[in-house]
Order: sequence, then structure tokens, then C-alpha cells
Amino acid sequence: MAGKPKPAFFIFLGLIVVALVGFALWRMDILAPKGKSDNVGQIDPNELNKIKKDQPGGAEAPDDKAPTTVKEYKFVAASKLPPVKGVSNYQPLKDNTVRFALNVWAGWAPIILANEGLKPGKVWKTPAGKSFKVDLVLIDDPVVMRDKYAAGQVHIGWATLDMVPLFLEELRKDSRVMPRVYQQVDWSNGGDGIVARGLSSINELRGKTVALAQNSPSEYFLINALINAGVQPSEVKYRFTADAFQAATAFNSRKEIAACVSWAPDIYNLAKVKGNKLIVSTATANKLIADVWFARADFAKDNMDILEGLVRGIFDAMEELKLQDNKQKVAKLMATAYNMPANEAMSMLGDAHSTNYAENREFFLNQNNPTNFERTWDSAYYIYSRLRKVTEKTPFDQVMDFSIIKKLGSVAKYAGQKNDYEVTFAPKSVTAIKAESGEILTKTVVIHFFPNSWDLGKTITKQVGNRSVEELYDPNVKFVLEEIGKLAGQFGASRIIIEGHTDSSMKGKVSFDAVQELSRNRANSVKEALIKKYKSLQPNQFSAVGMGWNTPADAGDPDNHAKNRRVEVKIYPLETE
Amino acid sequence: MLRGLRGFFTGFFKIRNEPTMVGRLLMGGLCLGLIGFLWWLVTRGVTPEARIVSPAVLGSPQEVFGSFRSLWFERALTRNTLVSLVLVAKGFGLAALVAIPIGVLCGTFNRVNAFFAPITIFGRNIPVVALVPLTFVLANTDEGSKILFLFMACVSFVLFDATQIIAKVPEKYLDTAYTLGASRPQIVFKVLLPLALPDLFNSLRLLFGLAFGYIIMAEMLSQGEGGLGTLIYISQKKGPREHVYLLLFVITLVAYLLDRMMYFIGKMLFRYRYTD
Repeated sequence: MAGKPKPAFFIFLGLIVVALVGFALWRMDILAPKGKSDNVGQIDPNELNKIKKDQPGGAEAPDDKAPTTVKEYKFVAASKLPPVKGVSNYQPLKDNTVRFALNVWAGWAPIILANEGLKPGKVWKTPAGKSFKVDLVLIDDPVVMRDKYAAGQVHIGWATLDMVPLFLEELRKDSRVMPRVYQQVDWSNGGDGIVARGLSSINELRGKTVALAQNSPSEYFLINALINAGVQPSEVKYRFTADAFQAATAFNSRKEIAACVSWAPDIYNLAKVKGNKLIVSTATANKLIADVWFARADFAKDNMDILEGLVRGIFDAMEELKLQDNKQKVAKLMATAYNMPANEAMSMLGDAHSTNYAENREFFLNQNNPTNFERTWDSAYYIYSRLRKVTEKTPFDQVMDFSIIKKLGSVAKYAGQKNDYEVTFAPKSVTAIKAESGEILTKTVVIHFFPNSWDLGKTITKQVGNRSVEELYDPNVKFVLEEIGKLAGQFGASRIIIEGHTDSSMKGKVSFDAVQELSRNRANSVKEALIKKYKSLQPNQFSAVGMGWNTPADAGDPDNHAKNRRVEVKIYPLETE
Repeated sequence: MLRGLRGFFTGFFKIRNEPTMVGRLLMGGLCLGLIGFLWWLVTRGVTPEARIVSPAVLGSPQEVFGSFRSLWFERALTRNTLVSLVLVAKGFGLAALVAIPIGVLCGTFNRVNAFFAPITIFGRNIPVVALVPLTFVLANTDEGSKILFLFMACVSFVLFDATQIIAKVPEKYLDTAYTLGASRPQIVFKVLLPLALPDLFNSLRLLFGLAFGYIIMAEMLSQGEGGLGTLIYISQKKGPREHVYLLLFVITLVAYLLDRMMYFIGKMLFRYRYTD
């Protein structure tokens, strides 16, 4: 029959229809949506502190009374922990042996010493005298560790505190596997660092590519440093690798990668290469990455006595490790456990600073400590929520349990311990500090000062309706101080220069000396307020200097007066290398 | 209908008894249903704590399949599938391009075959994972290293298969060709190659499935441009964990559909081979 289309025509027609529908779905972002990108959220450094729920917003009358150094949490220990429902689900303790996961890390030296190696054998005692054993299980991959922990194959997991929020995304689903943190084992002290090629400060990373392991302390370290330097995480390109060692390899072999975040000893080996520089390490930012261990909630419910035994045993071993003999002993044990030469294990010990009872008490209980558990937790949550790695926030007190730390305060040998992680700063002039080496990072914070005033608590009277209300000239002051305090705490082994600046509105009308004095007074008042607020910070860590109107915030816009009335905080390494 | 059902049961334990299409589907469905039931059983419970397997370890079927939306839209499932497919096509295509001509030579000339024997022996016996560090060093870019990895993992298999298939072309065709006065190039291009082509295509189809599995592995080990393997890796690290299980279904489905598609293309190209 003439005119009847052939089968090929129908196939062709069908293809056109499919193509058109496909094209429409594609344009509507249904067929092949782009997906969510990781590095989107803009991060406002000021917000890092505003998120704290315990911060009363708005003004607060300036307080002349010196605050007490230590302000401890008032709530009853463990009272805010989520209840454990159902029957315990972990694998029962065979031969009374607790399975404790750990990774290759210097911070585990005390427990390895206390346990005389990884294998269970040494008999531990609970405070009541019941005996138990500990099997230290080496699981280096955090994801594998988390999954084994969730399945109940290990009872206790390892983490840096900043990683715990990431774990919670999965662990939150079951109240029995919720982590409970009882003890901080160490601060990373030189173990992590950022090495760059041809760059000397964090601020210069803008627009460059950095290699690092995603969802790891490396990422927390980098993003934290970037934010402190005023660099948006989205301004940096990332090359993600499986772990920190591969990040070092990638940096070394590919010239287009400008920097990497990695671990000792790789960072020190890389820094020796000509043209490379270790911009910053946790030797300077020595209160940023906290290593902790955590127990399953159901395990903790059933075995508080064992957990207390562990906490005590680890603290005791930290004291023992002060003796050279014991250091050698643990180096040998670690050499066997981690399959490395003993001398390497020995030099690795310096990468972490074991935190004794006094430091743990500061970390868990002191609300005024700029680098305590809560602040570390909140910073991690803030950073990860902006990177869209966490969905909802679990409050710190649903994970932190300070009951054991508090209880040990009545035991003389722990209560008598002193915080020995303080760097003593000899006074030094600003010019000397600046001459020694370049800064690690510059943080610009803006405090608005009343014209000709350097009083941070300056109040003004405003008319609201028919009432006059007194409020702070800059209500942000509290947050900015908190921010600088935290920065100074995290970079506990660095020198900090506070630069005061003024605007140039009176240029030509007043002498530069007067303006410089005003700017110096502004810097000084920030310094004094900081020291008053955080008694644990040492005055000599800070130097205040007045810059006058010489360095406008933006060289291209020197007459932006509001922008120029500011304070800049610069972090310098402690010593030149 | 009733007789069909009876036939299904009476034939159940008859050796090599062929069930009907319906019967076959029924058995397959039964297997799936059983697995689904077990899965549902161990993950059901009013509270998370009442489940036999904790939700922190394995989600329920509803939770896993319910996460499809976020896998499709937030994790860009289709784009990542495409990335994997393009990579595997490049790597495997390169391997086929290199190995088939050499395989034809090997199948035709035994001395050439002997020359390449060490490479095929090495390539077929090395565990592919062991090649990963090597490819990272040899290639400059992430994409390059994955293509190279696939090439190295597949090339000796394709070579081996091609050699075998050419060598197995029955002698009688060659004899006939010689009798009719064919030259040596004619024997290769007019007799050996055309006769081997359907089997060659079939072998490539099976090996492509293997290559698809390899690329997922390579993507899990190094995440650069995305891909299904990277999606598994990310879901494992960042969650949701449900995506990991869901991706297992997706990968199986994609691999199966690809295989079927190639099967039908083969059927269309070499219709004479599929007449029965």
C-alpha cells in the first residue's frame, strides 16, 4: 500500500520522542541533576562564636571584678546524656577483655605502656579491685573503625574530637552506639602540619590547590586555619586523597598542588626540600586537635567501673612516661605494635602531648578555657555544618561525660597534678618578633571604637520610643574577644601581635603621634580585655602595637573609615627555624 | 493454567527438566522475595534498639530505597554513572584496540604467540589491585591513571581470548580457502577474521562486564572526577550509609542492562549465529 510508513519510520519517530523527553528532563535537572557540591557555604569567622547557645546575645555591662580563673559546669555529671534504650548490643567481653581500637599515633603511648603492648595480658584493676584485660586493636582507617564499633566488635573507639561529629551522622541512629567521651589523651603537638611550595603564610593559599584527606583532622586543621586567616574555604581548591600520606605523595609529585596537609614525619621531610616551607604545624597550633577515646553508650552503662579503671591506668602511665627508662620501654612496645624501628617510635613520641589530669579537668570542666571540649566541639560542628558534612547538631553534653574526671578530683594523686603544657613567653618587642620571621596568618577583626575612645565597653544612650536605653557602642565586642581568645588558645605556642589601626579622617588636622597613640591604646585595651577574660592566657604571649592610619584595611579604598577602625591579629611562630 | 502449575511441581525434581518462562520467573522472584523478607525481618522494630541488626549497621529496606531520591538528586547518580561508563569505555576501548590486532597475529602465527606469551601469563595471573600503585606512578592525572589501570587489567585478557578464538577457527575453512586459491592475506581477512568476529564480540561483551567491576574498584581507591565507586566511598565516609547498599543495586542493574544491550547488538550484527 502506498504511503504506509515502514517500521524504520516508527523507530525513528520513537527515538525523537525519547530524545525530546530526555532533553526536557535534563533541562529540568531531573535526568542528570548536578548534585550538591561540598565547598559552598560561606563562612563568617565572627559567626564561629555567635553559634554558642550559652552566649547571651546583646550587651553586657562591663565587669570590673576579675572573673575567677575556673568556672566549672554546674549541671550534674552525665545528666544530659541521652538515655540508652533496649538491650546492650556489643559483643560480650571474652575473658573479661575490653576491645579498644587505636591508630598509629604517638598519643597512645600511655595506654600501650599501661597494657605492656597491644595484646591482652596485663591485668588491669577497676577501682573496686575487679580485674579486666584490654585488647588494643589497631584499626588505622577511621571509617572501618567506626563500622566495627557500630557493630559492637570493638567497645571503645579512637578519634580526634573534631571527628566525632562526623561519626555521629551514622551513630546517632541507635542510642546504644552513641559515643561517650571520658578522657582526653593528648593534644597533637607537631604531629599535623601544612607544607607549601613557595608560600609563607596561610593567607597566601587563596586560589591555590591543597592536597589533603577529606573528613579527617587534616581537613579540620586546614579549614580552621583558613577561616582564622580570613580566607573562605571556597577560595581554595582541594585535591582529596585517601589518607594524609597520599596527600604528601601527591604534593611531592604534582607541581600544580601548592600545599598539603599531612602528618609527621612526612611534613618534616617535605619541609626540608628546597622551596618548601612548613607554614604551620600543631607545634604552634598546639591546642587545636584533641585526641580522645569514646565508649559505646550501652557498654558504658554496664561497665562504668572498667572505664574508670582505664582512665586511671592511662593517667598513671602518663606520669610513668616522664621517666626516660619508660620512654624507651614504650618505644620498643610501639615499635612492635606499629611495625616500625624503635628509634622512629622514639622520635614519634614528640608528636603528641599527653594531657594529664589537670589538663583534662581544664578541658572537660572549665567553661572559661578558650580551648575546652565545648568550644572545640562547637568549632568542629560549625565548620562541618558549613561544609555540609553534618546535618543536625548534637550538643556537646550528649557526648561528653565528665563524671570520672570530676570524681578523680577527690583522689590526691590526680588532684595534685599541675598543667605542664604551658609555654613560657619571655617579653619581646614587636619589631624583634616581626624581624625574626614572617607571620603564619593574619586575622582581621573589626571592633568599632567610639571616636577618640579606646574603651571596649563604651556605652552610648539611645532613644527607643520614649525610653532612653544604654547599650554598647559595638555589641560585637564580646564575640570578637571570644574569637581572638580561641585563636590564641588554639595557637598556644605562638606569639600574637595585636595591631591597632585608626581611620584617616583627621589626616592633616592632628599629628601622627596622637593618632598612633590612640591606635596603640586600642590594641592595648584588646590585649588587656583578653587577659582579663581568659586567665589561662599569658600576658607575654601578646604584644600590642599602634599603626595609626598608615596601613588602611584596603589599599584600594583608603578612605573607608569604618573599615579602617580595626584591630588585626597576627600569629607569629615562637622561634625561627 | 492448573496443568501448568502441576507441571511446575511434578517437574521440580526431574533431572534437567526445563520449566516454563513463568516458572523460571517464579523461582527468581522467590529468591528475591526471600532475601527481602530476611532483610526486613532483621531490620524491623518499633525503636532502633529493638531491631535485630542496629540501624547504625544496616538500614531497613524502606530506609535504603527511601534514600534513592537523595542519591539521584544530591549525589548526582546519573552524572556519576556516566563518568564511570566513559572511563571504562576509554580504558577498555584502548585495550581492545591494542589487543585485538595483536591477538589476530598471535592466533595466526604461533611464533608471535610465543613472543607475547609472557605478557599474557603475567597479565592474567597478577591480582589487579596490585597494579594500582604502579598506575598512579605512571600516569600524570587521576583520569589517566584510571584509564591506564583498566588498560593494564584488561589487555592481556582480550589478547588471550582473541588469540584463542582465531586459533580455534576450524581447519576445514582454511583448507577450502586454500583449495579455492586464496592468498595468505585473504585467509586472514576473508576467512579467519569474519569467522571469529561473533565469538570475538561475545568475548568483549563478557570482558566489558569485568572491566566495569574494575573501574568501580579504581574509583573507590582514588577519587578525582567522581564515578560510582567514588559515590560508594563518599557514602561510606560521610553517609548516608543507605546509599552504599543502594549503590550495590544500581551497579548490578547498570551492569546487567549493559550486558543485555550488547547481547542484542551482537544478535543483530551476527544474525546467522543466532538462528536457532
